[in-house]
Amino acid sequence: MTALLAMEFGKLGRLVSVRFALVVLALFPILWAYAPGVFDVYGFFIVSGFQVPALSLLSSMAFLLPLLVAITAAELLGLEIQHGTLPTVLLRPVTRSQWLLAKVLVAATVPFLALAWFLITSLAAGAFFGFGEFVGGTGLGRDGLIGVGVMTPGAALGEVLRAYATAAYALVPVALLAVLFAVLFMNAAAGALATLASLIVMELLVVVPALTPYLLTTQLSAYVTPTAGLGWVVALIAFYCAGFAAAAVIVFERKDF
Amino acid sequence: MENPSAATRPPAIETVRLTKRYGKRPIIRDLTFQVRAGEVYALVGPNGAGKTTVIRLVSGLAFPTSGTVRMLGEDPHERPSVRRRLGAVVEAPAAFYPYLTGRRNLRLHGRLAGGVAESRIGEVLERMELTPAADRPVGVYSLGMRQRLGVAAALLTKPDVLVLDEPASGMDPLSLHLVHRVLREAAAEGTAVLLSTHHLDEVVAYCHHVGLMEEGALIDQVDLSERRARHRAHVSDAPSAVALLRGQLWVREAHARGAEVVVALRHDDDIVALAPALVRGGIDVYGLGRDVFDLRAHYRERVEAERVRRTLADVPGPTYGRGGRA
Repeated sequence: MTALLAMEFGKLGRLVSVRFALVVLALFPILWAYAPGVFDVYGFFIVSGFQVPALSLLSSMAFLLPLLVAITAAELLGLEIQHGTLPTVLLRPVTRSQWLLAKVLVAATVPFLALAWFLITSLAAGAFFGFGEFVGGTGLGRDGLIGVGVMTPGAALGEVLRAYATAAYALVPVALLAVLFAVLFMNAAAGALATLASLIVMELLVVVPALTPYLLTTQLSAYVTPTAGLGWVVALIAFYCAGFAAAAVIVFERKDF
Repeated sequence: MENPSAATRPPAIETVRLTKRYGKRPIIRDLTFQVRAGEVYALVGPNGAGKTTVIRLVSGLAFPTSGTVRMLGEDPHERPSVRRRLGAVVEAPAAFYPYLTGRRNLRLHGRLAGGVAESRIGEVLERMELTPAADRPVGVYSLGMRQRLGVAAALLTKPDVLVLDEPASGMDPLSLHLVHRVLREAAAEGTAVLLSTHHLDEVVAYCHHVGLMEEGALIDQVDLSERRARHRAHVSDAPSAVALLRGQLWVREAHARGAEVVVALRHDDDIVALAPALVRGGIDVYGLGRDVFDLRAHYRERVEAERVRRTLADVPGPTYGRGGRA
């Protein structure tokens, strides 16, 4: 399993979607930090470099980040389909479930790697505003961007790190859903598109209020406004992850190649 | 290439009434055959006959709808560990990561197989004449080089079973010869080899059995070892020659073919007794030689006959087991 994991992590850098995501996530914070219309959208001026990660996350968590995560996770399988290497690997004495679990584990790390890079580029983009004490909020805590007074750099960084970690965790089921669809369709593009379509359908299910706390899409905003306690969010996301991973393995076990 | 002891060994590959359907459409129908250690079994047939599906069913990549596949006595689906003893090429051209060099691709295969010594990687690259290209990315390899790398990967773990789908497709004559030579050597070392191919002239020279496939069914199995042991004599009176030879203890079988008599001897060395026996019986002998089996003609004849039979009867093809009609 260690050899498989090392192999799969090694392939990450070869994915077109990863290179694309690296560029997009590097440019995106600059756009939001220095765009002339930011005041019109959010009604405030950036006063601290710690607010740029908030703006980046707030504006990308609804669509851009799920899109990038879904494409990358689906391409993990798509790479093998494209090169025709899937049967070759499966002829070796690794079990199908071992091989797919390695893919699933790598896919699960994609949101964390993406958001770590996004955080670095966001903080770099915010460097112009400085990282000292400031009056206001990071936008990622209870008091939003306005805050309740002076915020220390340590407290601000803590809020940003917590929010990015929560957001990354909330994106893991999106990655695993993309793997599941890629396994079902044996096509990376179809896998990513089906994932996005599923998220859009889930968004629409807010018209059924009883369902809202259970929806995956609801948890995507848990980094700023969890609908319930963080324990609930963690458990629900873990449930989604387990379900999607198990379904992917079951489908993959019976696939003909 | 005689291999008399092979028949006594347990089968390395065995399918029994193997059937594969996609929906209601049968792709493979009731396929029964065996390949023993040290034997080469070639699946031949027109495009779309189902050869690739058989290769994938046997190697465990596809699941049978009914029937069984056994590799070294194990079901490759239930016991994936049996694939430690399998070497396979199931894509044409063989699939590799194009951004890695040939050597690194083989290292990766070695890791997945549980570890292979670097010297063994060099050895298979050398055997497939790929050493000069070993450190170039596979993306720049020609089709033939990829195919040879595929065979190198299949040989990497010194497998007991080799399963290859069109291992020599797209190759130049030299590479073609190399691949068939390597497969012949592997069989001589005791490996069971199953391959699908269109290269009838090459396989007839060294394969032990040929399975003719048409429309997902095995319509004939030819024992080429036995065929290669036959001789033919152009004689003045073929029916009398047959009658005379059938009475000889050293003759296993004799039959007439036009003005010729075709003889299967118990031992190859008995050929020296053939002409004297005929002359002593008052039969003139005009020529004597090996009876070269024309697989190409046999293939054409059998496939066309099967198509006619199916058109007339509209029934599924027959199943031939080991020792079936040849």
